[in-house]
Amino acid sequence: MNIDREHIRNFSIIAHIDHGKSTISDRILELTGTVAARDMKEQLLDSMDIERERGITIKSQAVRVDYTADDGETYCFNLIDTPGHVDFTYEVSRSLAACEGAVLVVDSTQGVEAQTVANAMLAMNANLEVIPLINKIDLPASDPERTREDIEEALALPADDAVLASGKTGEGIHELLESIVYAIPAPEGNADGPLKALIFDSYFDPYRGVVALIRIVDGSIHKGERIRMLATGTVALVEDVGTRRPSEVPSSELGVGEVGYLVTGLKDVSQVKVGDTITSADAANVEPLPGYREVKPMVFTGLFPIDGDQYEPLKEALEKLSLNDPALIWEPEKSHALGFGFRVGFLGLLHMEVIKERLEREFNLDLLATAPSVEYHIFKRNGTMVSVHSPQEMPDPAEIDHIEEPYLKAKILVPPDYVGAVMDLTIARRGSFVGMNYLSPTTVEMQWDIPLSELIMDYFDRLKSSTKGYASLDYEFNEYRYADLVKLDILLSGKPVDALSFIVHKDKAYERGNQLAIKLKEIIPRQLFEVPIQAAIGNRVLARTTVKAKRKDVLAKCYGGDISRKRKLLEKQREGKKRMKAIGNVEVPQEAFMALLKVDG
Amino acid sequence: MHDPYKALYLHIPFCVRRCFYCDFDSSAIPQDNPAIDEYIDGLCVQIRRNANEGELAQIETIYIGGGTPSFIGSSRLTKLLYMISVSVRLENVREFTMEANPESINECIIKDIWALGVNRLSIGVQSFDDEVLKILGRAHSSSEAKRAIECAQQRFENVSIDLMCGIPGQSIASLEDSLVKAASCGVKHVSMYPLTIEPHTLLNNMVLAGEFPEPDEDEQALHMERAESILVQAGFSRYEVANYALPGYESAHNVAYWTGVPYLGLGRSATTMTQNSERRGRIRDGIVLDDLNKSQMVAEDIMLGMRLAKGVSVEDIANASVFLPALQATLDELCADGLIVFEEGRYRPTHKGWLCGNELYGRIYDLAP
Repeated sequence: MNIDREHIRNFSIIAHIDHGKSTISDRILELTGTVAARDMKEQLLDSMDIERERGITIKSQAVRVDYTADDGETYCFNLIDTPGHVDFTYEVSRSLAACEGAVLVVDSTQGVEAQTVANAMLAMNANLEVIPLINKIDLPASDPERTREDIEEALALPADDAVLASGKTGEGIHELLESIVYAIPAPEGNADGPLKALIFDSYFDPYRGVVALIRIVDGSIHKGERIRMLATGTVALVEDVGTRRPSEVPSSELGVGEVGYLVTGLKDVSQVKVGDTITSADAANVEPLPGYREVKPMVFTGLFPIDGDQYEPLKEALEKLSLNDPALIWEPEKSHALGFGFRVGFLGLLHMEVIKERLEREFNLDLLATAPSVEYHIFKRNGTMVSVHSPQEMPDPAEIDHIEEPYLKAKILVPPDYVGAVMDLTIARRGSFVGMNYLSPTTVEMQWDIPLSELIMDYFDRLKSSTKGYASLDYEFNEYRYADLVKLDILLSGKPVDALSFIVHKDKAYERGNQLAIKLKEIIPRQLFEVPIQAAIGNRVLARTTVKAKRKDVLAKCYGGDISRKRKLLEKQREGKKRMKAIGNVEVPQEAFMALLKVDG
Repeated sequence: MHDPYKALYLHIPFCVRRCFYCDFDSSAIPQDNPAIDEYIDGLCVQIRRNANEGELAQIETIYIGGGTPSFIGSSRLTKLLYMISVSVRLENVREFTMEANPESINECIIKDIWALGVNRLSIGVQSFDDEVLKILGRAHSSSEAKRAIECAQQRFENVSIDLMCGIPGQSIASLEDSLVKAASCGVKHVSMYPLTIEPHTLLNNMVLAGEFPEPDEDEQALHMERAESILVQAGFSRYEVANYALPGYESAHNVAYWTGVPYLGLGRSATTMTQNSERRGRIRDGIVLDDLNKSQMVAEDIMLGMRLAKGVSVEDIANASVFLPALQATLDELCADGLIVFEEGRYRPTHKGWLCGNELYGRIYDLAP
């Protein structure tokens, strides 16, 4: 049975990290009786362990709740939870495109923060009706009035009708639900037109094939119907449709304005892409929905099993994860230093961290990651061009005519006090200042042109720390551009270690090489022999440091009871060594391969 | 069935005060606290019970450690030593050591313990530099230490002292002065340890709070080397990584720990090692600390053997290789790395092997983890 369009409200909840987004979602589910209180787990919507631990949302979710409003009518709410990180900006934009409104959660003890602004802008750009919600009013430090002024000033968003609430006590949640009913418009769309549905997330289910989360824009979708994905051209059978409450409730169809899941039975998640448009298989000349984009990995890193026996398990794990993650691409890579592994491409650094963590945790692998790199375009003298994802793949310098690297358009939102700090940091990272404007007296938007390779070098963490956490960053790919780049090699005991090589701008080579040599000296523990560390371009050594030979290790008493203690200590030493990689006869800790990120400048 | 115990250790967990670096089980309580009497009574009961069960029949060495055994005073020690003398065949005991600290050594105690069978005294001197003693939180001065040694020597021919090196604030000159004094005061044995910052000690808290520097390993290595050269010059030989003795005065009890000899530990937090030809266990306060199979036992013996100057014989290696097939390859690697040498039919640790002991022991330990 179709739900009457006028009684549907599609919205998402957006917030700065830790402002209480997930708690508010949980209270909504609780108050509408969707989930019994006893089944509540903290942050119900974030289903992955990593999401729950880090308090971040990686995959989108959609839950339907029924709400009987004060006017006596029953409304159907679709609450769409969106990823909350710049790596997933595209996914967020598609999730927001499935909504008519957004609840903007602001912590009344903190006020508006950078991410609040960024998220509110995203929602307003998507033409969503934004309902401000002033949260945590139960706390003694709460200042709702000040927060209200803050919202009006920084976001130019009327906040007279802002909902005052506490996710913890449940106060104000009823008001929020009412305000969703009257402030957020019902979805528009032509119920009788040809089917048009937006895919805003998809994942692989081993029992049912690819499952998509969809929003019906026009027409309706029926179980048993044949459909087509416009961008990929894939045709599939609708094996099942329905809604999540949050457990799945199948239905025979989804009508206009509705949000739900769709089971396709397809085996490859890359056939069902986020942002793509679903139509009937036999429909002709249907215009795709706007905003679809091919998702391409931007950041590449080498992942190597510490224990060579884990190569096959790593391969199987990557295969499993990519079933669910079309943005994850990988190919085998061989390193002299680290053995067999994979070059893996990611959307961004968070995506990379999350995947690495999942591989280690869910598949029990011990992995070593090399410093991330971007895709370089190498134009050879013979007129051909090769794409290179790793410093090891760099052709001989004699063959290279010139190199191009990816540049980004980056947008940074920051309070005016920190403009200078952002300038200093970003210019040091080869960024060129494009312009800036005041969004409000408390928020400046700065636009930059910056190479991606600089951004992945720990730029975000540094941006956060130099702005006391206020800055928020958004970026998109701009273009490939000429750059004077060189490959810098690191030599341990005179032998180049391929996994430590990196590509760097010529003007920065000396500085980076020197800093890295110093950093590695700190990281590599003293061994039985002296270990010289050199940074070199070809045969030209730019910097040299030395890890002195170890003179002595722990020498303690070893009488009766001390022997057991000694055994424990040796066991610990052994575990510690397991986390190291022997390169030649030098024991190198894993963090050495990421040291490049910790280098200043 | 287990092999007979050959060594007996008794723990006296009381001190006049706690030293800043010490993590041994010991309480600083007033000397007249009846808890000490209760403890000694309990210890006597345990000695008696073990004697009745025949566990003490083949004891060859006894060691009373602490804490500070001398702190509990003459009358309690008399009670304890008397109980030992009627429970152990003292005529078979080659070495009977008691630990003592300078501040609680007096003529009365010396005479009493000597008369009741103790034949070796180990005195915690640590340094002959008052500044260094202050840093360590010791309860005595250097002049008290000298007096205590002389007092002990009125009865005891076999006196050992403990010294420490590598202490932040201890100069090389201060160390050399202590070593020269140690070598010339007539003691037969010197134990020499670099300071280790152990968890749950006052020094550790100070290090964490940034009030005390972490000991410098290079400095410590230098101190160890100076200690060796001065003591060897004076006629001592370094028979274990941290122990020096005049010929014939190596500590038999401590050598037992390093050569796979079963030992019985009585008293709070004393460790017992019990074994037969198949297994070895270590137990403390009723808790099993180690439960080793044959190959782990063999690896441990080789490991501990590498603390000793004489090292391990090729015969021992051949026997051990039955259980540790990779042993020879590991020894070859250790030779190549300069941690051990092969001389006159024995593998012995080098100076580098002694200083980087964990590296050396670790590789042998890894043969049977």
